[in-house]
Amino acid sequence: MAETNRLNFLIGGPAGAGVAVMGMLFAKCMQRAGLHVFGENDYPSLIKGGHNTYAVSASSEPIHSLASSEPDLLIALDQLTVQLNAKSLTHGGALIYDSNKAKCDCVERKDIFLVGAPFTEMAAKAGGEIMFNTVALGASVGVLGMDFSIVEELMEHMWKKKGDAVVQKNIAAARAGFDFVRTELKTPFKIKIEQIKRPETMFINGNEAVVVGAVKAGCKFVAEYPMSPSSAILHLMAGHEREYGIIVKQTEDEISAANMIAGASFTGVRSLTATSGGGFSLMVEALGMMGMMETPCVIINSQRSGPSTGLPTYTEQADLLFSLHASQGEFPRIVVAPGDVGECFTEAVNAFNLADIYQVPAIILLDKYLSESSKTTEDYRKIPVKIERGKLMADSQMEKEAGFKRYARTEDGISPRCIPGQKNGLHVCSSYEHDETGFSSDDGKTRIAMIDKRARKLSSIQESVIEPSFHGASQQQADVLMVCWGSTKGPALDALALLSKSGINARLMHIRYAEPFPAKRVLAELQAAKKAIIFEGNSNAQMREHIQAKTGHRIEETYLRYDGRPFTCKEIAKHVESMVKK
Amino acid sequence: MATIAELNSGHLPAWCPGCGDFGILAALKGALVKLQIPPENTVVVSGVGCGSKLPHFIKTYGFEGLHGRALPPATGIHLANDRLTVVAVGGDGDGCGIGMGHFVHTMRRNVNICYIVQDNEIYGLTTGQTSPTTKKGIKTKSTPFGAIEQEICPSLIALAAGATFVARGFAGDVAHLTSLIEQGISHRGVAFIDVLQPCVSWRKDLPYSLYQSKVYKLEESGHDPTNFEAAVAKARESERWPIGVFYKVQKPIYTDEIPFIKDKPLAAQDITDVDISSFVEEFL
Repeated sequence: MAETNRLNFLIGGPAGAGVAVMGMLFAKCMQRAGLHVFGENDYPSLIKGGHNTYAVSASSEPIHSLASSEPDLLIALDQLTVQLNAKSLTHGGALIYDSNKAKCDCVERKDIFLVGAPFTEMAAKAGGEIMFNTVALGASVGVLGMDFSIVEELMEHMWKKKGDAVVQKNIAAARAGFDFVRTELKTPFKIKIEQIKRPETMFINGNEAVVVGAVKAGCKFVAEYPMSPSSAILHLMAGHEREYGIIVKQTEDEISAANMIAGASFTGVRSLTATSGGGFSLMVEALGMMGMMETPCVIINSQRSGPSTGLPTYTEQADLLFSLHASQGEFPRIVVAPGDVGECFTEAVNAFNLADIYQVPAIILLDKYLSESSKTTEDYRKIPVKIERGKLMADSQMEKEAGFKRYARTEDGISPRCIPGQKNGLHVCSSYEHDETGFSSDDGKTRIAMIDKRARKLSSIQESVIEPSFHGASQQQADVLMVCWGSTKGPALDALALLSKSGINARLMHIRYAEPFPAKRVLAELQAAKKAIIFEGNSNAQMREHIQAKTGHRIEETYLRYDGRPFTCKEIAKHVESMVKK
Repeated sequence: MATIAELNSGHLPAWCPGCGDFGILAALKGALVKLQIPPENTVVVSGVGCGSKLPHFIKTYGFEGLHGRALPPATGIHLANDRLTVVAVGGDGDGCGIGMGHFVHTMRRNVNICYIVQDNEIYGLTTGQTSPTTKKGIKTKSTPFGAIEQEICPSLIALAAGATFVARGFAGDVAHLTSLIEQGISHRGVAFIDVLQPCVSWRKDLPYSLYQSKVYKLEESGHDPTNFEAAVAKARESERWPIGVFYKVQKPIYTDEIPFIKDKPLAAQDITDVDISSFVEEFL
């Protein structure tokens, strides 16, 4: 009997063949069937050739990462994909390959459904060879016994902006693939996808999610220099520049980008830059400047494998300590690492609010895995959002001011902030140490007073804002406490489900805020845990070091991955299981 | 509207007595008063260096950023609120050494800001090292046997990079410089003004008297500032040093291509409840 609504899918082909687009469209078909969906891409740093893949897991149960690296359904757009991936297909799985581009003589498995379909030829007949991946999409949906209307509606949704002719051609191409597979398929495939009713979701990746969040937060100025894996933020912002009234400036370098947003932010405009580690390195001097000037800003660092150029298209979580300590001197900052696409949206909004309230730079740490993996998530329109601008003065307030001090030493350390164009607030925003008026000063007493004033600012932040999230077993019931941060949340959550099936009571603590750090809560959890282990995508267990620095508590067990690939839920579960049974 | 006195910040400039920066400060104040620009609508942006301390000595809004980085924040301020008057100032080391990348790109962007280079052919605040405008052969602390590299001419670079207003002034002729700055700020587009400025501490070989004997005024020599080739030729002159407007042309400015700030600058736009519905729908 066919299994229903649980599938692992993989498409592979050379760079430039539209592998990621087709994978994303397939994932959207699963989304539209009402399933929980996760999609992950893998590609080398080149424009044509090589081996690109897009993997999709879909399930009627919530999923947060790729469920398995063994696909049930494999689409091969070239020979290399057949050679590399046919062996990992599950028993009874299906391999559909483009018979115009690949042969399957090398596949010795008799337990799979193997079909060569002339994708390229069928695409040409439908109106253009370029649509061979759309043919593959139709074939994939056909194998799964789905209704073709789901593809039809998706094509209309995706391509309507390009005109009816494009929509119709794509529908015809998908239809050809769909019909071909239906004819070839003599017995039903082992997996069937049936439409289920569920509230409509978004299917979105981390880069897209922070962009929507930033737009919602009222970000009006973006300056960025292209760098993988953050460039999509620049592209997506630029594409929506006119719709949302956002000036998007590609700068000559990252130094310019960071300094430009400092200027824009000085005028009161919410401003953003995004980069990866190498570009962030170039921004460091400006980061310290904004700390000194108390100019809010949001900097996204989507980490990739470093140091230096590293592995440009692969993931890592090794910029944590760098982000926490970047710049000479001492000043408060916010460092937040969202764990999934829901948090990418909410933390983008929070980052802008907190940067304004505390007049500090806020760094959002993403990584390639989170930036480019897509997941179904709640419609962002249902998430309540409040814009908080802190002590930013209104024009009417400034009209009445006399003797305004931009850097007044207040009890909470946060000073009223005015912007150019406002009367009675003339001051210099200086990178030098300065007095309450903004005038540069190297007087020792002033120096201490200003350092202390700035340091006070974040102490008033509410614990509830920065608290870790907890999942799985309760503190009392848990046999083990798993600790992770940033994008490791997804595979860790799925590992919890696997562990629960094995009868293991595991609890997960996901740390979002590295600065300010929720030290009290983290320490209490660690002290209460029977056993604790931290999972990190770096080789030095940087969050462990940070936790120890902040709490004095050292987590003994670590599981670190730094081959550029994300954690899988299976390896996490396996490791925790062996640890508990030890 | 302010008077010259009202533009005094109340802080005495910390420059060496006789420094050319005094003349530049006086000329900038004079130009702002002449143009009747309210101080709250003016932002003077600088980097780091002797001349970059200038924002502290003029009562407008000021942004004293990082060494070599005056132009990116100046651009950010302008794009975020294009109703403000933005004047960037900085030395030759700041703009032509560490900040050269920003200099070239700001010129080609034709943003509506005025950039004044305080060009004394030396690094002053770091106590006298060679700068990109220090002429070949000149001995400084870092080139005790004479500068080996060929010097650059900032005005030529501005012309090559597409600046739409290129001028040179002399800090010892405040009235003339005031007029240049006034024209530069009024120019619709990027305005570049290289100001020849004696450094009385580290370039004693370049006193006011030498400048005075070398400079002559372009407007008195029949120069046509609409002729690009003539502008290049004038900027290259080395025997005598022309001051005045080398080149001036009207071209669309960067913000002309940004339709959504025609009615309101970014800084005045309401962000309390941005409707993201159509954006969200892309991901349904």
